Amino acid sequence: MSETYPQGRRLNGKGVRDRNRPVRVVIASFASCFGCQLQITNMEQHLMDVLGQFELCYWQLTSSDPMPESFDVAVVEGAVTTEEAEKQLRELRERAKALIAIGACATTAGIPGMAAKGFYEHPGSVYEHVPQACGAMISPRPLSAIVDVDFEVRCCPVDPYDFTIMLQRALYGSNKLATTRMLCSDCKRNETSCFFGEGQLCMGLVTSAGCGARCVNLGRPCQGCAGISPHANLASARKSCERYGVSVSDFDEKLEMFNQTNQAMHEAE
Amino acid sequence: MLYRVIDAEERDALVSAFMQEYEVVAPVKRGRGYVFDVIESPDEIAYDYSTTTASLKKYLLPPRETLMTFNAVDNCITEHAECIPPRVIFGAHACDINAINRLDQVFRDGRYPDPYYTARREATLVVGMSCMPTDDCFCHLWDADEARFGYDLFLHDIGGRYLVSISSVEAANILEAACNPRVATDEDRSDFRQATRTRQLSFNQNIPDIQDVAMLMDAFHKDEFWDELGGRCLSCSACAAVCPTCFCFDLQDRLSPDGTQGERYRVWDACTSPQFAEVAGGHNFRPDGRERVRHRMYHKLNGFLANYDRMLCVGCGRCVSACKADINPIRVLEFFEEKGSEHDA
Repeated sequence: MSETYPQGRRLNGKGVRDRNRPVRVVIASFASCFGCQLQITNMEQHLMDVLGQFELCYWQLTSSDPMPESFDVAVVEGAVTTEEAEKQLRELRERAKALIAIGACATTAGIPGMAAKGFYEHPGSVYEHVPQACGAMISPRPLSAIVDVDFEVRCCPVDPYDFTIMLQRALYGSNKLATTRMLCSDCKRNETSCFFGEGQLCMGLVTSAGCGARCVNLGRPCQGCAGISPHANLASARKSCERYGVSVSDFDEKLEMFNQTNQAMHEAE
Repeated sequence: MLYRVIDAEERDALVSAFMQEYEVVAPVKRGRGYVFDVIESPDEIAYDYSTTTASLKKYLLPPRETLMTFNAVDNCITEHAECIPPRVIFGAHACDINAINRLDQVFRDGRYPDPYYTARREATLVVGMSCMPTDDCFCHLWDADEARFGYDLFLHDIGGRYLVSISSVEAANILEAACNPRVATDEDRSDFRQATRTRQLSFNQNIPDIQDVAMLMDAFHKDEFWDELGGRCLSCSACAAVCPTCFCFDLQDRLSPDGTQGERYRVWDACTSPQFAEVAGGHNFRPDGRERVRHRMYHKLNGFLANYDRMLCVGCGRCVSACKADINPIRVLEFFEEKGSEHDA
C-alpha cells in the first residue's frame, strides 16, 4: 500500500490551467448514490464563483449533453463495479490531464465495496438465475485500483469546499500534502470528550483526519468514511479497544464499511 | 514579590472586576472534562478543576491562524493583523504557567520574535491558582509545580482564603479595587507552608523520580524500548494537540471559492504526524512511529533542555489520558527505573 495519498505528483505540482482558453471539466459517476455530486450543488452561495473558473462540459446531473471528446479535468464519483465502468474509467484517465476522485465510493470503494468479500459467490446465494441488469459485474474497487488518481476528496459525502480546494489544486497547481494523520488530534483541538472513555467504539483511531471530526462535533462517533490512513496502526488500535473495554470484533466489523477492499485489512490479522 | 491575603469569598469579585475590562478565560466543565473557555459570569468557573482536556496554548498559538492574505490575480500580499481583545486567563495551574514561559522563550524572547504570538501574549494577563495533583501529574519531577514568573497574580489556596503573589501593577490595581487585600499574618504563612507540603506529598508515588533523565535519553538511544513504545503509536498526534508546550506548525495556503483571493495560515503540526519529516522529493526522515515517538520524547526530555536549560515537558499529564495507545513520558521514566533495577539485581 502506498504511504501517501495522491497529491498531484504526476502533475509535478503544476496546474492544468491554460491561459489561452478555459479549462474543460467533466463530472462522471460510477456506482454511488450521487450524493457527492449533490453536495457540489449544495454549495449554493459559492457555486457560481466555483463554476466561473472553468468550462463545465459534462455533468449528467444538470444536462443530458454527451461527454465531449477532449477535456482537461475529470471529476469522478463512485466505485467501479462493472467491466464497462472499468473501461470508461481507463478512457477518462487517458483523456484527462488531471483526475479527481470524489467521495468514499471512489476513494475506498465505500459502500459498494462492502460487497467485495466473497463477491462472486454472493449473487448466487440470493438469485437462482443471476440477472444481467447491471452489466458484467466485477468485484467493487476504488478508482486508484485501476488508474492513477491525481487528487482525492475523501468522506461520505464530500465537503463541497474540500472539493473546491482540490479542484483549484488541479487547476492552478499545488504541492500541498494531504494529511495521513489519524483523526484523534482533531477531537483534542475541538476539546470534545473521547468516546473511548465511555467504552464506545469510534473509528477515529485509524481514520484519516481532514474532516475536522465533524461527526464527533455533532455527538456521534467517527464511522470512518475517510477510510483508514496508509499509516493506520490496526494492531495497536485493537489493543486500545481492549484497554478501553470496546469490543475488538465490533471494531473489525466497522472497518468493513469503508475499507473492505483495502489491502491493510487483510494483513496482520 | 509582593504578597497579600484575600478571603475565598472575594474570588468572584476579583473575576467580575477583570470582566469589566477584559475578556476572561477560565476553566469550565464540558462533557466529562474541563476546558478553558470565555466566561460570561464567575459562576461558570470550575475553580476546583483537575486539569483541562487541551491546554492554554490555543490563546497564544491558535490551532489555525491567518498570517497574511493575498490577491492571486495581482500577485500582491496584505499583512494580516488580528484584533486581539485584552484577555485574562484566570485559574491557570503552575504547570501551564511554566508551559507559557517555555512558549515565551521560543516565540517572544528569541532573536526574531514572532509578531503574531507576541501580540497575543502582550494582550494577556495570567492569574494562576494552586492545585492538587491528579494521578497523572508529574510536574514536580520537572520542577514545574510552582510558577516563579509568567503570571500577574497567583492565588495560593490556604484554606478559606488565598495568599496572592502579585507580580504586575496592572493586576495589582484591579485586586486592590475589587477586594480587600491584607498583609499576610504568621498564621497565613504557616498555612501556606502546610498547603505546599500537602501538595508535594500528594503526587502519585508510583511515577518514578529519575535523576539525569536527559543523559539517560542519550545513553539508551538505541534501546529496543523505543521500538516497543513507538511501535504502538497510532499516528494521531493527540499528544501534541493537548500538550501545552508542543509548538510546531505548518504553513498552508488556500484560495477563495472564486480563485482570486488567498490566505496563508498556520496550523498546529506535530513531529508525530506521518508527514512531518517528509522533504522535497518524497523522502521521509522519520517514516515510522518508532522514530517519531522517540524524536518527540527526545525533544521533550533532552533536546530543549540543551538549548533552553529546562525540560520541554512540564508534567501536566494531559497526554497520559489523550493517548489511546498508552504512550507518555511516565512510560519512559518507568523504563529507566526498570533499567536501574536490572542493575541492582
